[in-house]
Formats: sequence, C-alpha cells, structure tokens
Amino acid sequence: MTAAAIAIDASGLSRTFIADQRPVHALREVSLRVAAGESVAIVGRSGAGKSTLLNLIGALDRGYQGSLRVFGEEVRAMPDRALSRFRNRQIGFVFQAFNLLPNLSVGQNVLLPASFGTELGHGERVERARYLLGEFGLADRFGQMPAQMSGGERQRVAIARALLLQPPLLVCDEPTGSLDGETAAHILGVLHGIQRTHGTALVLVTHDPQVAQSCDRVVRLDKGRVVDAVGAA
Amino acid sequence: MRLGRLLSLVASNLRSAWVRAALAMVGIVVGTGLLTFFIGLGQGLREKVLERIFPVNQLELEPRAVQIFGTEQILGQEPLDDARVRQVAGLPGVVRAFGKQKSSFPARLWGGKELLGYNLFTEAFFDGIPAAVVRGELEELEGVSAKRGPSAIANGDRCELDLDCAAGMGCGDGVCVPIVWADRFVEVPEVVLPCGDGDRCPQGTTCQQGRCAKAGESAPPQRCVLPAAAGTGRDLQFDREVGELAQPCADPLGFCGMPATTCGEGRYCAADHPETRLGWCERPLPAVINPLLLEVFNSDMARSLGAAPIGSLAVLFGVRFHVALGDSYFSKDADKHRQQFKQAIVVGFSRKAPELGVALPREVVRHFNARLKGNAAAQAYDTILLDTASNQDVPQVIVEAEKLGLQLSRKSRAARTFGTVVLVTSLALVLLAAVVLAVAAVQIAQTFAMLVHERRREIAVLRARGAARIDIAVLVLGEAAAIGALGGLCGGGAAIGVAELVDRAAARFLADVPLVPQGFFVFPMWAVPLALAVAIAFTVAGALAPARRAMRLDPAAVLAES
Repeated sequence: MTAAAIAIDASGLSRTFIADQRPVHALREVSLRVAAGESVAIVGRSGAGKSTLLNLIGALDRGYQGSLRVFGEEVRAMPDRALSRFRNRQIGFVFQAFNLLPNLSVGQNVLLPASFGTELGHGERVERARYLLGEFGLADRFGQMPAQMSGGERQRVAIARALLLQPPLLVCDEPTGSLDGETAAHILGVLHGIQRTHGTALVLVTHDPQVAQSCDRVVRLDKGRVVDAVGAA
Repeated sequence: MRLGRLLSLVASNLRSAWVRAALAMVGIVVGTGLLTFFIGLGQGLREKVLERIFPVNQLELEPRAVQIFGTEQILGQEPLDDARVRQVAGLPGVVRAFGKQKSSFPARLWGGKELLGYNLFTEAFFDGIPAAVVRGELEELEGVSAKRGPSAIANGDRCELDLDCAAGMGCGDGVCVPIVWADRFVEVPEVVLPCGDGDRCPQGTTCQQGRCAKAGESAPPQRCVLPAAAGTGRDLQFDREVGELAQPCADPLGFCGMPATTCGEGRYCAADHPETRLGWCERPLPAVINPLLLEVFNSDMARSLGAAPIGSLAVLFGVRFHVALGDSYFSKDADKHRQQFKQAIVVGFSRKAPELGVALPREVVRHFNARLKGNAAAQAYDTILLDTASNQDVPQVIVEAEKLGLQLSRKSRAARTFGTVVLVTSLALVLLAAVVLAVAAVQIAQTFAMLVHERRREIAVLRARGAARIDIAVLVLGEAAAIGALGGLCGGGAAIGVAELVDRAAARFLADVPLVPQGFFVFPMWAVPLALAVAIAFTVAGALAPARRAMRLDPAAVLAES
C-alpha cells in the first residue's frame, strides 16, 4: 500500500483521560491502517474506546500518545487553524444524533462546511448542495427547517453536509443508530455508494452486526485495545 | 470565516434566541440612552446656556483686587490703559484684546412708546465698547434675529420707521432700503460731541467751535432749534414733551443753506443742554443691548407693566429711546450746562453688552466720562475684553494675565465656575451611564455564558465541520456586537426622542421663566456613533469570557455527550 493510498495510519495510539484525579486509559497501543476507498467498522462494547478512536481519527482530539497520520499529516503536529482547515477539507462527519443546527435551514446546514473557507463560488456551492440533496431525495427540502423532517431525512441531510466539500475520509459515529431498519439500510447503502463511487475511505462505529458486516473490515475493540480484526488489512 | 456567513449565522442565532437577546439588550439600551442623553444635555448646557450667557473663549479681565475687611480693594495697580491692553493682546493664545470703559456719570433713559404704547423710564448705565469687538456678533445676531413678522411688511415698501420694513431693510425717504445695522455701530458715530477748552475729544477729532470735529472737517453740523414747549429744563424732565425732541426741527440760522424745516433723513434735533432751545442735528447714538435683556423684560417685567411680551429681538432693531446724559432720577445736583439730551437707536445685540444697561461706542462713553466727570475719569479702562484662539487657551491666558496683575472679572469668574459645574456634572452623569453600561456588560456576560453552554453542541459541530477556535470566538463576539449595535442605536434614538420631549415640555411649561433656552439639548454629530461604539465595546467586553470558553470547548468531549 503506497503512502498516498493510506488514509489513516495509526501506530501505538493511546489516549488517557483524567477522571476523579485518576488516569483512565481509553485507548492502549492501538495500531490501525485504513486505505483510501476502504470501509472499516469499529465495533465493541460500550466504553471499549470506539468513540475515542473515532475522535482521534476525525482529528477532533489531539491529546494522544503514539503516532496518528491522516493522509500523511501527523494530526498532533498541526496548529489549530491548520487542523481546522484539514478537518474541513479532508474529513466528513456523520453523527448518530445528526447534529444539524436547528436555527439553520436544510440548505444552510448542508452549506455549513463552506463557511470556513473554500475556493468554491457561492453559486457553485449552492448548486452542489442542491445536487447532493437531490441525490438523497431531498431536492425540494432546501429551505425547510430540520425540525420539519424525519430522522432518516435528517441523517441524509447530515450526510449531504459531510459530502459537500467531497472529503476523502468519512467518519461516522453510529450513523444508523437512531433509524428504523429500512431507513438504516437505505442510509448504509448511500454511504457505501459514496465509498465506491468516490473512493472515499469510510470509518464507522456501530453496534449493529449487519452494518459492521457490510464493511470491508471489522475492527473490534475491548478495554482500549484492538482484540480482533476481520477482513483484509 | 466568511463575513457574509458570519453575519448570517449571527442573525439566525439571534433570531432563535431573540427573547434572551432582547433582555440582554435592555441594560445596553438604558446605558447608551443615558450616555447619549447626558452628552446632549451637557453639550446643550454649554452651547445654549453657558456660551449664550458667557462665551467660553471670551474673557474679561480686571485689576487684581484683595479682600480687606470684606471689601475688594485694588492696591498699587497700574491703570488699565492702552499699553496694558497691548500687553494682554500679546499674550500667547490671545487673538485680540480691547479696553472697556463704563460710564461714570449718571444718566436717565426713557422711551419705548412706539413699541409698547407708552414710555418706560429708568436710570441708565453704559458700557463703552469698541465697535470692532462686537462687530461679528452684531452681524451674527442680526442675521438670526432679523426675521420680522408679516405685519411689519404689510405696507410693502412704504415706511415711516425702520420697524416698518422687512428683515435687512431700513426706512429711508419713506421707502424701505437695504440696511446693515451693524454698520451703524462705529467708534466715532455721526453724533455731535460738545466740547469746551480742555475737554477731551475722541481720537482723530479736535474741539472746533464747541464740538468735536475731525481734523480738516469744514462743514459744521446743522444747528437746530427745539420746539418752544420743550425749551425749559422742567419740560425736559418727565413729560411727553421730551418726545418732541425727535421731531424735525427748524434751522432758523440757515446754516449750510439747509432747508429751514428739518434735520434731514435719520437725524433729529438733539438738545445741547436742558436750558437751551438750541441743538444740533445729528444721528442717534448707536446702542447695543444684551439679548438677555429681552428675556428679563418678557419674563419679569412685561406682565407687571401690563405689556405684551416682545416676540423677538428683530422688532427691537431701530427702536429709539431718549437719554439724558449727566442727569439722574435720583440726584439733581448735576451741572445742567454740561448735560446732553440725545436719542439712541438700537442697532444690534451683543452678549458683551451689560445685562442691565446699554453698550455705546467706547469713544462716546469716554467723551462723556471726561465731560461730566473730568478727564481723569476717561483715562483708564475698567476692564479688558479678550478673545482666545480656542477654549483650550483659556487656562494659560488666565495664568499669564495673573502675572500682569490682572484677574478674571466677576462675570468671567462666574462663567468659569458655571462651566466647571456643567463639566463636572456632565462627567458625573456620563460616569453614571458608564456604571449602567458596566452592569449591562455583566448581564451580557451572564447571558452569553448561558447561550454558550446551551449551544455547546452546535459549537462542537461547527468545530467538527472546520471552524477554528478563532471562528467560534468571532461568532460569539459578533453576536455580542450585533446586540450592542442594536442596543446602541435604540438607546441613542430613545435619548434623542426623550430630549425632544423634554425640550417641548420646557417650551410649553417654562416659557415664562427667564433665561430658559429654546432647548436644553445639543447632540453633536459624534454622539450617536459614540453611543454605538461604546455599546458595542461594552457588549463585546461582556462577551469576552464566554467567547473564550466557547473557543476552548473540546468538541470531542461535547459530541460524546449523550
């Protein structure tokens, strides 16, 4: 696997928090490589360190030990502004709770990543947002508020927001956790479609075995360690 | 973050929390409202009250006095002569300086019939001031005041008096002609100043045939004779016959070949002294009065005299009155042969004129001081009037003047005291507004702390989607600035509105109170922008700590919250 084809390269990754003046080791010596265009499911029981790993991979948390390179960039070494720009361009997030901004319309939510610097002109951004919403069957919902939508629709809006700047890495935290089976299957299909169509690396945390099985690889965490990895590495 | 996007986010956030934003804004509105209100009031008091009564950059100096047994005594001072005036004029920051001489002789004054329907009689006091010192003010007040009502111009161009003519017009040969009143106040007016051997004449004139005349002036003034009924001293005291002095008089001696019936346009027959029927044809003495006199008359005197208040200064232009120089209602021991009976005409208004008196050309007062009280009374000035280049020069000029043995006159001291009181009061009130704003800033801090706490998930999402810490801080501070700007505009606007109401109420309910200005407020151009800037500064300051907390939020920890 060439350096350019590697989306995530974690080596000896540890994360320790202080709780009640005691260290809590959320991740211990985790090593993980994810190739561009690969989908990886991270599974494990609650408290196993799944979300901690996802936050590190998503460059939201820099307080780790070891090495973490995302598209060749050592996350810890980047100053806040550069890291924010990196997140903006390279990583798309999809959350279990959708996390749409309630004060903004659907269109404004989708356009949110473009607020923080992009070469795209206003017209091009809006056109792309409309295209994405159209792809997800929400073409006529551009001006609606998120509160007027169902859970599945909101999640599709969240995915559209994550894809606006066409990031090469999509990080999803229980993307189907709040959805019914049919909607969950649809959303999963959308995510894998993106992965295949755009060569986007997909890392998702899930408790759902079916979701995990849909990925190229499944990484199981327990007590902060990788205990099992199924699939091609 | 892009500015347009920032504004859009700020607007949507404020819309979603408008009740809380409005509540947070209340303190800012009150604070900036008070600030603007007090700025307007302070500036108004300075411009409409203080500078109207005592112009700040105009000082009056007098010889330094010391208190001895409760009385002010001037000890060992050199007289205030032209040399001292030049010395003061040379002080740094002084634009010009003039000597002022008060009348040291008694005088009576009566007139006003043409305006009030009957004559008023009073003891008179004169200040002699140079024409140059009031010239600008005369022109300014003439320009502002010369707006006569429709009744004054009802007769078209025909007139008998200046009062019959419209603004800027005077009566000449029965028709209205353009007139500049200020031009009539000149240092040596066309007035016959009688003199005898040893009497002092104004500079540039000498005593020729019993009157002061310019060197080389050949034609003597027209001699006239008074009506027979007015030819005795008794008649000239109180009764209406004195009014006849103003009527055209004969020229029985045929001086200068003038027609033997009149003194000519704008002239009248002035009595030489009470016991003669002879007089000189001359123009009335140009008189300047203090505009405050009109307010004192309207507020304190008109009602008790049963007279209607005088609407504006404009109607006083051209009003004539009689003066008996050297005579008094209180004392009858004056030398009748040195007295003079003349007319005076109001040619303008100046704050340098005495509040209860009349300003005449300095050389006229000086001449009669010498004639009626001896040359010594005309030697020195009583005070020195000076203008400074700016208000900032005033303190230094006072210090330098003290080195010359001079001090501020009572009037100037009162002005400075009043000015200081206004300044200190204004500052205290502005400080009060600042305290209100500080309290408002604390309220803003609390509100934004709550907003940041409530929106921490949104902030975390923004961070996840590419917002840098500084973007989050700018967003929070932008919301604060928007609240500040809106609050500042509301506060400033409300202050101006309340000030307008106060002014209207004052105009309605305080109309009879003397010296009450037409308005108490003056809002400088910078008042509302300043209120806006202060409001933004205080709200942004209040939001600094919440913004700091917001930018330091750990997005991973917040997003991990269920």
